[in-house]
Amino acid sequence: MKHTITRKEDLNAADYVIDVIAPKVAKKFRPGNFAVLITRSNGERIPMSIEKAEGDKITMYIKRLGKTSRELDTWNVGDALYKVIGPMGTPPPLKKYGTVVFASDLVCGHAENNAMCRELKKIEGNHVISIQSFPTKEDVYPEKERAKKDADEYILATGDGSVGRKGHMIDVLQELLEERKIDMVFAGGDIPALQKLSELTKKYNVPVMTTVRQIMVDATGMCGSCRVFIDGEQKLACIDGPMFDGHKVDWEAAISRLAMFKGKEAEAMECYNEKMKAVV
Amino acid sequence: MAIQERIPMREQDPEVRITNFLSVPLGYSAEEAVAEAKRCLQCKVPLCETGCPVRMDIKDIINLIADEKFEEAFLLSKKDNAVPAMTGRVCPQEDQCEGKCVLDKTGQPINIGKLFAFVADWARDNELMDETTPQENGKKVAIVGSGPASITCAVDLRKLGCHVTIFEALHMAGGVLQYGIPAFRLPRDVVDYELSYLEKIGVDIQLNQVVGQNVDFEELKKDYDAIYLATGAGAPRFLNCEGEKLKGVYSANEFLIRVNLMKAYKFPSWDTPIFCGNKVGVIGCGNVAMDSARCAKRLGAKEVYILYRRTKQCAPARAEEIHHAEEEGIIFKEMISPCRMLGNEDGWVTGIEMVKTEFKGTDKSGRPRPVNIEGSEFIMEVDTIINALGTTPNRLFLSNVPELETHSWGGIKVDDNFMTNIPGVFAGGDALSGGSTVIEAMGNGRDAAESINKYLNK
Ligand SMILES: Cc1cc2nc3c(=O)[nH]c(=O)nc-3n(C[C@H](O)[C@H](O)[C@H](O)COP(=O)(O)OP(=O)(O)OC[C@H]3O[C@@H](n4cnc5c(N)ncnc54)[C@H](O)[C@@H]3O)c2cc1C
Ligand SMILES: Cc1cc2nc3c(=O)[nH]c(=O)nc-3n(C[C@H](O)[C@H](O)[C@H](O)COP(=O)(O)OP(=O)(O)OC[C@H]3O[C@@H](n4cnc5c(N)ncnc54)[C@H](O)[C@@H]3O)c2cc1C
Ligand code: SF4
Ligand code: SF4
Ligand code: FES
Repeated sequence: MKHTITRKEDLNAADYVIDVIAPKVAKKFRPGNFAVLITRSNGERIPMSIEKAEGDKITMYIKRLGKTSRELDTWNVGDALYKVIGPMGTPPPLKKYGTVVFASDLVCGHAENNAMCRELKKIEGNHVISIQSFPTKEDVYPEKERAKKDADEYILATGDGSVGRKGHMIDVLQELLEERKIDMVFAGGDIPALQKLSELTKKYNVPVMTTVRQIMVDATGMCGSCRVFIDGEQKLACIDGPMFDGHKVDWEAAISRLAMFKGKEAEAMECYNEKMKAVV
Repeated sequence: MAIQERIPMREQDPEVRITNFLSVPLGYSAEEAVAEAKRCLQCKVPLCETGCPVRMDIKDIINLIADEKFEEAFLLSKKDNAVPAMTGRVCPQEDQCEGKCVLDKTGQPINIGKLFAFVADWARDNELMDETTPQENGKKVAIVGSGPASITCAVDLRKLGCHVTIFEALHMAGGVLQYGIPAFRLPRDVVDYELSYLEKIGVDIQLNQVVGQNVDFEELKKDYDAIYLATGAGAPRFLNCEGEKLKGVYSANEFLIRVNLMKAYKFPSWDTPIFCGNKVGVIGCGNVAMDSARCAKRLGAKEVYILYRRTKQCAPARAEEIHHAEEEGIIFKEMISPCRMLGNEDGWVTGIEMVKTEFKGTDKSGRPRPVNIEGSEFIMEVDTIINALGTTPNRLFLSNVPELETHSWGGIKVDDNFMTNIPGVFAGGDALSGGSTVIEAMGNGRDAAESINKYLNK
């Protein structure tokens, strides 16, 4: 199977979108699933949320972060990834929740936001509100890459107020929770922000499911690298999640464990930069 | 007559080998192999064969080696064993074939494992394979997992003419042989060659296919005449003690998957990182613990401790592994058991609290039972902890197929013919037992193949 890139566009200065041929993944995709990418035969297995599946293609939003995501950014339409595996994870049920919010502030969260809103809206009895926040006007994704058309109500926010509502997704959510009855909140994005968001929903007694991104290796439940602690019980983000009840997550452990390979990642990046210098 | 001693196995020097991942034993030369084979007494009743779970024709194979008929020896060994190059290297021979050899009493049993590895390696060097062109019988069998149980079952069923498709979740085939056992024990060219045999005889291996997740079990049931489940026992077990969330605390599976499957020892030219500190504590004393400890040493750790609640005489690890680990400077701390892990304010592990143990009576396995000595707790400084407490059956598949009957601890239930409660669905290997040996898994795969064949011809 050749996992050819069929589209690659910038979302903003940091994030880009790719469409990749992966028919088996596309066929089984449900919103909330992620894929595992291996770009080269000596590459890492990296998890990426799937934004949508269309025909034999899947769409992913990727942040230029470390070695793999930056290297992939130098690839073009027509290049092929070594492996695309999935869909992985156990997404939350798609059902009638009532007034349901999806809030996101980061690349993976935005992809999940689009995916979930699209399907939640199709279910009778749901009123779907999407909140997407970005730091500033320049960071806002193009309209077709936002959940605007997929939600009943769409709230765009920027940290500096340069476009849309001023503030972060948490500020917008707080206003909503003050104003009306929200039955269910989903959220994805920055982990420390998700902790705060979970605490907020607890105050208002509203259930919340958030993505708990953790470092994954196999993503099939065999290594325990992605372990998260839910009400003291150990779960695996790759097979039991990655979405969990935000009120029960041990956030301190999740935040701490995500930084385990910081030093090594910097080393990989340095090495990659050296190599790129040599190429130029 | 004085007993002639075993022909010694040449090995990489410990000082050198802790800096690389190349095979520790260098293998017999043809002359050495012939000399070792000639020591065999060719017993009338070859007890050695009673110790081999797949009943290899040990005596005859050794005789062929003694006569320098390596090709015949290889073909005969392939009759009962799909992967002799691997079992020769990883079987616990001291408990199996070599443990039963009449010469064992003298302390100098025939080195059966290394002889068989020699023959298989010789065949590989000479690009020899036992060619079989099976007569197609039109039956389709799906096999889930690609570890030793699956490999054996696949080969046997293919030889009977079935169309066999293996579905493997990972991006490389082989199960534990690929992701668990390090290359210095089982070189990857050996694994690759043995697997290429499957493809050569026409077994279809589909990688990245997680049955129950991206491949529907229901679809498999519709599309295939029988299914064999050998999904292994790869789910890590944790102590569930304080401090296990800390950074620097690994399950042995994570540590070994990073090193072996993802080649983290070649970081950064390979992308997957691994963090290994200077003072590493490995909890447990089985093969998994030995592999973890020896990998840590090779990643540059200065001090590596095996922390074990019994003594190494009771350890489940192969004798050769313990011996090699000691040569490599791994420090064995016996009769101690872990209580909790300690960390600093950045969330990194800094130590482990252990308690001393003493033996009181015996447990179900017949081994002395260790009990904690109250008040004897002490703290060891470590910056990396590897949990090698054993594993439980992989639950991703199981949780997606609730109608499959399992034991409370997760093992799949089967009848005497290895059939599960779902007709036409068979199971084997570590997924039944929760963990055993390569050769047990293979024996299991062989028995299941026989049952599946009977079922298909009913
Ligand atoms: C379920 C899930 C969904 C994700 N979805 C997206 C997405 O839609 N878009 C996106 O841009 N990113 C997503 N990520 C994060 C993405 O996997 C990492 O950004 C990527 O692995 C970084 O690789 P790198 O080599 O570029 O950077 P590195 O330098 O290797 O890592 C940078 C940071 O990424 C995180 N990371 C590194 N390796 C992994 C790993 N194997 N698994 C998880 N996180 C890791 C760590 O926080 C690390 O500090 C997701 C992660 C998970 C677990
Ligand atoms: C580190 C380590 C060292 C060991 N050392 C020795 C040794 O020296 N000697 C010895 O005899 N034994 C040893 N063992 C034990 C031995 O390796 C196992 O008993 C044996 O591999 C079991 O074989 P299996 O075929 O049942 O499963 P495995 O080898 O575990 O293979 C199972 C395969 O199934 C795949 N799988 C799981 N779920 C799915 C799914 N849903 N869909 C598709 N595929 C799936 C997994 O990815 C895996 O590849 C060791 C084990 C480990 C972990
Ligand atoms: S398969 Fe294992 S037990 Fe049997 S003869 Fe070979 S090494 Fe010995
Ligand atoms: S028991 Fe030992 S000496 Fe006798 S046939 Fe077997 S290997 Fe040879
Ligand atoms: S990534 Fe290995 S268990 Fe989840």
